[in-house]
Amino acid sequence: MLKIVIPTMLLAPLMWFSKPSMIWINPSVHSLLISLIVLFTLNRPTNTDLIFSLAFFTDPLSSPLLILTAWLLPLMIMASQSHLTHEPLIRKKLYILMLISLQSFLIMTFSATELIMFYILFEATLIPTLIIITRWGNQAERLNAGLYFLFYTLVGSLPLLVALIYIQKSTGSLNFIISLYQSPNLSMSWTNDILWLACMMAFMVKMPLYGLHLWLPKAHVEAPIAGSMVLAAILLKLGGYGMIRISTFLHPITCNMAYPFIMLSLWGMIMTSSICLRQTDLKSLIAYSSVSHMALVIVAIMIQTPWSFMGATALMIAHGLTSSMLFCLANTNYERIHSRTMTLARGLQSILPLMATWWVLATLTNLALPPSINLIGELFIIMASFTWSNITIILTGLNMLITALYSLYMLIMTQRGKFTYHTLNISPSFTRENTLMFLHIFPLIILSTNPTIILGQLY
Amino acid sequence: MFRSVLQLRSGRGLLIRGLGTHRGGSTLDWDEKVSEIKKKIKSILPGEASTPLYDTSHLPPEHSDVVIVGGGVLGLSVAFWLKKLQKKGDGIRVLVVERDHTYSKASTVLSVGGIRQQFSLPENVQLSLFSVDFLRNINEYLAVVDSPPVDLQFNPSGYLLLASEKSASTLENRVKMQRQEGAKVCLMSPEQLQNKFPWMNTKGVALASYGFITSSNRMVTSSGEEVVLKRIYEVHVKMNNSLEYQPVECAIVINAAGAWSGQIAELAGIGKGPPGTLQGTKLPVEPRKRYVYVWHCPQGPGLEMPFVANTNGVYFRREGLGNNYLGGCSPTEEEEPDSTNLDVDHNFFQDRVWPHLAERVPAFQSLKVRNAWAGYYDYNTFDQNGVVGPHPLVVNMYFATGFSGHGLQHAPAVGRAVAEMVLDGHFQTINMSPFLFSRFHLGEKFQEDNIF
Repeated sequence: MLKIVIPTMLLAPLMWFSKPSMIWINPSVHSLLISLIVLFTLNRPTNTDLIFSLAFFTDPLSSPLLILTAWLLPLMIMASQSHLTHEPLIRKKLYILMLISLQSFLIMTFSATELIMFYILFEATLIPTLIIITRWGNQAERLNAGLYFLFYTLVGSLPLLVALIYIQKSTGSLNFIISLYQSPNLSMSWTNDILWLACMMAFMVKMPLYGLHLWLPKAHVEAPIAGSMVLAAILLKLGGYGMIRISTFLHPITCNMAYPFIMLSLWGMIMTSSICLRQTDLKSLIAYSSVSHMALVIVAIMIQTPWSFMGATALMIAHGLTSSMLFCLANTNYERIHSRTMTLARGLQSILPLMATWWVLATLTNLALPPSINLIGELFIIMASFTWSNITIILTGLNMLITALYSLYMLIMTQRGKFTYHTLNISPSFTRENTLMFLHIFPLIILSTNPTIILGQLY
Repeated sequence: MFRSVLQLRSGRGLLIRGLGTHRGGSTLDWDEKVSEIKKKIKSILPGEASTPLYDTSHLPPEHSDVVIVGGGVLGLSVAFWLKKLQKKGDGIRVLVVERDHTYSKASTVLSVGGIRQQFSLPENVQLSLFSVDFLRNINEYLAVVDSPPVDLQFNPSGYLLLASEKSASTLENRVKMQRQEGAKVCLMSPEQLQNKFPWMNTKGVALASYGFITSSNRMVTSSGEEVVLKRIYEVHVKMNNSLEYQPVECAIVINAAGAWSGQIAELAGIGKGPPGTLQGTKLPVEPRKRYVYVWHCPQGPGLEMPFVANTNGVYFRREGLGNNYLGGCSPTEEEEPDSTNLDVDHNFFQDRVWPHLAERVPAFQSLKVRNAWAGYYDYNTFDQNGVVGPHPLVVNMYFATGFSGHGLQHAPAVGRAVAEMVLDGHFQTINMSPFLFSRFHLGEKFQEDNIF
């Protein structure tokens, strides 16, 4: 693992001491190389010779997420290039430094063996994200957004610290590898219920669960493009990953305690999808669609069957790539028209046909078109929830319908129709933007050919 | 409840404070400090836009989808229709920027306030027809719940255009066209005129067209949401700067600046180029001063008096019920008054207006001028007709200006046309494509003759 962590940390001095013309190229290319190294962690379960250390490890659950994280850094740097052109050099360097430090925290988080280390790095990722949102966001509301983001997550995760220290004291170790050999078998008491809540709440806020999702539209909308990308693609998955990891420590209690959260997620899924139908702000629409997809993941993790875990991990990877791509597309709109309102940027298909292709692909994967991995994730989760209770099929089926509705609505609103006069002189798509979109959709398409690698531990 | 208490107190605090005295903490007294803290708390509550670093409530927002330059009747009409025609609630954010809160020089408030349908171009007639319909049913559009209905002092008294021998045939043709468009106009001979309006002297009048008009000189808009009035400093194509240098990032700018539209257009770079090219075509709107006089005549015509437009360009109408009349005349090109200030030239009345008044209405031979003012026409030097629609080069600037004295009449219809252009991409209800900017470059005049 150190061969991944140390190069990522050293990206910072590489970028800082580069010539001003190279501060974008150096980190992008080198982080692409690092992501190639991370691909080696895609282990087959029989081959464990990559696990040397007691501090870092990877297993089939965390390695797809690690690869996603590593893949996303060059994309984030590429996407931020144009909106920072007018900033002074030191601020550009600071921005990239924030991204690199966030990246190194995230890599360490996903590969942590010890839950306390996971927790520390989980909290540490908040700081660069907060700085990116509040300093480089576009509107005055970004300060409010940063506040919401920070305090929702902090308040949620403080009980988690207490719970983790309690578990460490009572079972002796919080190491994942060792915990596989322990059977906690907690008793069904009120205390353990509160312990369960304390452990899960941090990740529920991060996912986000429907009732605690207020920070997400604000943070996603006000963040600059790299902030939105990393938030949608990775930081939400931190919650999912954490929930899966910690559910091994909480074994029999989940069977009872999960019930209200499953209900809340199923209902919230439909609610947020319906909100998407009424949105006028493009980024806000994509943010609410993130909440809707992640609600499915929460349902899956709460149900805790092999199929649902497979669906959860597949959906997390697929949603990461799709959401990030949608945010990049919305950003290309915003950079040209300086407004996020959908009605002001219409008819782009006739002006920018290649970008329209990317829009179509992103929309189709967002609505879980076969044979994309989005579909595999959603299908597994829906099947698992059907076995848990037959009636949920109504809710999940309705959600798939509404997802299709709002995705197509977004596509038709921005691409079809008569173009407006004030879009006549927008600059054509840059090669950088096309590369960005291609690098997002290419893994999605390739993974559709072999989705077994992202199906997690239980495949 | 908490919020309403905050609103009450912070409102009072705002009145006492001036602008931007947040640095001088020691000079504020206790009440102001408390109200400032309450304002800060209020801004952190969910749903409010907050900038906890310093108080920016007096500045326009940093971002707005549409910025309308000019808060006169055309600008506010465009804002109203943009919000009314938007497809989803709260879709478009509109910022109206007006440099003068008191509207002391705006053409809107200084106009004579007549609305007619007798124009020489069919599109203008359609615009007037819709505007009349809007004003008649104004409470359907602009009424606010729980407040008294909008009162425009709408006086449907008719508009009488007089034509001498030489212009009689054009008048007849125009009346035919106007009736085709749906206006209620009728032609009257001098005898009919004499019967209907005994106070008029019909010498020299060959034909008269009597159309249906309204007269209103008080337009009250109360559409409420998202309309902020602020002074601007500079306008770029995509950014606006204010007195405190607040750049407003916007997607669309609408030029509804009336008499000063030409200057706004120059700021946007319209007209900076070699003459004869599209780039070098300026917006040919400049301010022209026109006088309006109010006089009292005890024996003057009564309630049935329409808005009379004489053969030689003198116009007058009744104002109120106390035998007061408003009127004026457009000066010819040679005697164009200086438009740098709004001083009134009373000799103009004596020399150019009164003799014709006296000739047309004998009772006006003895009158007493009570009041006079001057206002600007946003005069389109090219063809005296409005400019509506986008600029071909500066793609996100839309015009709604240049109406040369009949802007007030067409404001609701033009506002709707511009809103349709912005939201749908083309004019839907009335085809305003002859009004586009490109006609200045192509040299095709869309001349409106029936202006005063």
